[in-house]
Amino acid sequence: MRWCSSLLLFGCLAAVNALSSSGNRLLVVLEDAAEKGLYSTLFGDLEARGYNLIFDSPKNEQLSLFELGDRAYDHVLLLPPKSKGFGPSLSPKNLVDFLNNDGNVLLALSGKSTTPSAVSSLLLEFDIHISPDRSSVAVDHFNYDTLSASEKHDVLVLERPGKLRPDTKEFFGGEGILAVPSASPHTLGDTSLLAPILRAPATAYSYNPKEDSGSVEEVFATGSQLALASAMQARNSARFTLLGSVESLQDKWFSATVKAPGGKEVKTANREFAKQLTAWTFKETGVLKVEKIEHHLAKHGLALEDLNPTIYRVKNETVFTIEISEYAHDRYIPFEIPENDALQLEFTMLSPFHRLNLTPIKTTENSTLFSTQFTVPDQHGIFSFRVNYKRPFLTNIEEKHEVTVRHYAHNEYPRSWKISGGWVWIAGLWSVIAGFLAFVVIWLYSEPASAVDGKRKKTQ
Amino acid sequence: MAESSVDVLLKGGSGRSARGLLRIIILVTIAAAAVSSRLFSVIRFESIIHEFDPWFNFRATKYLVQNGFYEFWDWFDDRTWHPLGRVTGGTLYPGLMVTSGVIYHVLRFLTIPVDIRNICVLLAPGFSGLTALAMYLLTNEMSSSPSAGLLAAAFMGITPGYISRSVAGSYDNEAIAIFLLVFTFFLWIKAVKIGSIMWGALTALFYGYMVSAWGGYVFITNLIPLHVFVLLCMGRYSSRLYISYTTWYALGTLASMQIPFVGFLPIRNSDHMSALGVFGLLQLVAFAEFVRGFIPGKQFQRLLTASIILTSGLAFVGLVVLTMSGVIAPWSGRFYSLWDTGYAKIHIPIIASVSEHQPTAWPSFFFDLNFLIWLFPAGVYICFRDLKDEHVFVIIYAVLSSYFAGVMVRLMLTLTPIVCVAAALVLSYILDIYLKASPGPVTRGRSNEDPSDGLRSARNPEVGISSYFSKAVTTSALIVYLLMFVAHCTWVTSNAYSSPSVVLASRMPDGSQFIIDDYREAYYWLRQNTPANAKIMSWWDYGYQIGGMADRPTLVDNNTWNNTHIATVGKAMSSREEVSYPILRQHDVDYVLVVFGGLLGYSGDDINKFLWMVRIAEGIWPDEVKERDFFTPKGEYRVDDQATPTMRNSLMYKTSYYNFNKLFPMGQATDRVRGARLPAESPQLSTLEEAFTSENWIIRIYKVKDLDNFGRDHNSAVAFDRGNKRKKATKKKGARVLRSE
Repeated sequence: MRWCSSLLLFGCLAAVNALSSSGNRLLVVLEDAAEKGLYSTLFGDLEARGYNLIFDSPKNEQLSLFELGDRAYDHVLLLPPKSKGFGPSLSPKNLVDFLNNDGNVLLALSGKSTTPSAVSSLLLEFDIHISPDRSSVAVDHFNYDTLSASEKHDVLVLERPGKLRPDTKEFFGGEGILAVPSASPHTLGDTSLLAPILRAPATAYSYNPKEDSGSVEEVFATGSQLALASAMQARNSARFTLLGSVESLQDKWFSATVKAPGGKEVKTANREFAKQLTAWTFKETGVLKVEKIEHHLAKHGLALEDLNPTIYRVKNETVFTIEISEYAHDRYIPFEIPENDALQLEFTMLSPFHRLNLTPIKTTENSTLFSTQFTVPDQHGIFSFRVNYKRPFLTNIEEKHEVTVRHYAHNEYPRSWKISGGWVWIAGLWSVIAGFLAFVVIWLYSEPASAVDGKRKKTQ
Repeated sequence: MAESSVDVLLKGGSGRSARGLLRIIILVTIAAAAVSSRLFSVIRFESIIHEFDPWFNFRATKYLVQNGFYEFWDWFDDRTWHPLGRVTGGTLYPGLMVTSGVIYHVLRFLTIPVDIRNICVLLAPGFSGLTALAMYLLTNEMSSSPSAGLLAAAFMGITPGYISRSVAGSYDNEAIAIFLLVFTFFLWIKAVKIGSIMWGALTALFYGYMVSAWGGYVFITNLIPLHVFVLLCMGRYSSRLYISYTTWYALGTLASMQIPFVGFLPIRNSDHMSALGVFGLLQLVAFAEFVRGFIPGKQFQRLLTASIILTSGLAFVGLVVLTMSGVIAPWSGRFYSLWDTGYAKIHIPIIASVSEHQPTAWPSFFFDLNFLIWLFPAGVYICFRDLKDEHVFVIIYAVLSSYFAGVMVRLMLTLTPIVCVAAALVLSYILDIYLKASPGPVTRGRSNEDPSDGLRSARNPEVGISSYFSKAVTTSALIVYLLMFVAHCTWVTSNAYSSPSVVLASRMPDGSQFIIDDYREAYYWLRQNTPANAKIMSWWDYGYQIGGMADRPTLVDNNTWNNTHIATVGKAMSSREEVSYPILRQHDVDYVLVVFGGLLGYSGDDINKFLWMVRIAEGIWPDEVKERDFFTPKGEYRVDDQATPTMRNSLMYKTSYYNFNKLFPMGQATDRVRGARLPAESPQLSTLEEAFTSENWIIRIYKVKDLDNFGRDHNSAVAFDRGNKRKKATKKKGARVLRSE
């Protein structure tokens, strides 16, 4: 009942204040209600951005991510559990189902407590690996905070991340220094669904403070292979973000001052980063939407019924247009392709016959039209227009539109007299016919004279 | 009293018209018998299209009726051979569909609204009535006996060899093609006899119709030139022959080239070269005849020899050069398999896999033709006795078609007409002799010639075939044979050839009929429960039925024009799931349909056809699919726990036996077709999920899963769903992969 009334209330609020492109019901799973105060700034920020925060404990048996087979929440923020796991209602299977149903999950871990095996096996499903002992901390002897961790070196001090690759958009950049205390580091498998958001410095390594120093021989991972925050975007564009250090979200570190070895004392930019991280995870940024797709013959004076025909003919000149907008915090804006990147159209049957760059032709208030023109290949079959645009941090565009490409109909070939090579044969044909007619005429009128006379006499 | 009235009917001027009337009545009765004996399946089951190919013809006819002729002519079918499509309008013989379409529109014009399906179902019986009439005409040209034509018509009407392809619902090209075949031959004989351009042109017209209706037109294309060639060799050149053949060839070739599927084949394909060659030869012979009138005999002889050597040499070289350069297409594989019955098995498994293309077993000659088959040689012998031009035709036809019928089961169909002709000739000959009530002329002749010298017994008119006793015995024996023939034909038609094969009938232990309707159940499930564009992958046998009944796109169908595409399906069926899945994805397959007879003991299922899939796939990918791997080391083809790992991991095996053991108590699962006890564990599927299984498990349909949402392989996704938690990262072989962005 509680979530019902709150839903109603915030549903009204959402109409004016919704920020996420996919709903505002945010479940915060917090084992100890007393800890809520530690994150008050974060929660305040989220509420200010229009989210309807619902706090619950994993121990609550009534808790369920689903209501009558439908998602009960749009997003889930999981804070690290104290006990062995999140309990039966938040089992890995439920969380996977939640993601399969387009829900988004932000999972924060901590290096201070041992990560439960249930969480670790959930991460393994996504090809995210944490150290086998599940209680390691990222340590760096060169980029630590000298004020708070001069001994342990487990509070990393980092620049904010830039672009992941030159051809991707930047969602987590900006000025300032991040403090990442007691982070549980992880490594990422080699799949395209995963992208690191925040990587550890080259000098960092994973260290288990509970074990003796003898274990250093077999280090789980080192350097920038260690990620402190990572994003997994499923094929249905559901987002899962893993943050290694839940402490970095605490009020204390939002306003802390840090000092790297040999550096100056600076204020952390954690609050900004947390905003970016939650905004991305809960689909406030990096959400692409295909407004419409049009394809038609390249000709003037198109009527409405000429749009998106189901059948083309080989060698038709065809225009394909796709309209894409991008959601940025509170509204849709025209999507701009990052530099060095291209939005491509494939015209495919079994394998692509064309792969063409789509160029922006028009920008409206909140979308961009990309278009290209090409000649249908000289091969009949069932083709499809495919736009397959999958980039890190952007939701997937996978459009597939089947069209039939037919052969020439019997009356679409040029007529014989239009082919100059055929003139010889046409001339031959008609000369035979003319010759035959001439022969018949001559034959008929070259009867012996006497007979002709006789006939004439008869007729007269 | 009675005798005198019969005399009035049979003799004199009024008798002739009475006989004519009687003849018409008999012929109409024969046609009616021919039609009605083909209606068993409609009465037993319902008005339904049978088997496989008819479903395509039916679908094409519906398309023709709905969209008109020009749309049909330019039809690009995007619902078969996904994603290649098929230029259907240009790759079919449109005669059948156009015939039904014309009948449909004529009936509509006469304000008789008949469903197109009923026209299609009843087209074959209707045309079989016409075939009987055409047979009458053809046989009448062969014999002076009045009864031969009627007998031949009756035989043709009910012989199982023809009924097998023309029962109601068997809406196939042969339904009208046999009528056209017989009628074209009749016209040809008529043309040769009279030597008229009109009959030659009519032959060409019906030949053109035949070309539009059936690929078997090649039989006519080769038989008529052979007839002419043999006549030329026998020194029987005549202007009649010249006129009829040149008229037929010129007009017939032009007519046949109007069919897009035939196109330029008549002047490029080796199968058609004999007609062209004989055409050229006939010109030469005619020219020689012309020259003979002007040149004295001895010089003509020399000229003839020289020119024969020269032209034949030139023609041979020309043929070789044109064949080598590719202008004339080489002989097609189907043609080779006509001469070498082992050819197809080695080189073209796709042809060999069709049961119709197997060599004929000898009992089927008796089964399909009954006593006609042993009258047949006698009929050919009678043709030799009276060797006119048309009898030469019968002999050639008989020899050729007996050979072909021995090579391929389906060519039994072309043998049937000539068997009916020959048998009717013999039977009418015998009946003419034995049914005459007057004493035989033989004894009288003898006694006139030699009244004193002969043996006494020979002079006795009571002995020999002219006696009433021997006449009665022979005639009654023949009547018994004829009655047995009728009984046999009815029995065969009712028991062997009237099953729609879409619906199976069997008997319950108490004798009541049990209808197995799994095919339609499954096809209608597809029709009702899947998106209109869901692609169905099945073995090609079921392509036409899925297209016709389920109205869903298929990957391959019974029009086996693309061997590679069929081999792709074969590979997907015979490989491991990990190999098959990318193939399924690439071809946009949504559902996989397999036919499984293990529960019911239905032997025509996919596991029994599986080796053909393997062989066809091996033909294209010899490194990836190997037939040997499907046999145990002892060389057995097994499906039980002794089956090879390749067999057990193949998609076909898994989809066939998935969850089959759950029907039985532990470890008792038995495949009733192969009589094998199956392993206790069901095969596990990870990339497919069961969508539908029909009542008797004959059809099983599986849905192809989408890629995993989290990029996992399907095995681990299935394991996760089953609740197996992963404790450790699966160790991958090789060096650890580092991320590089």
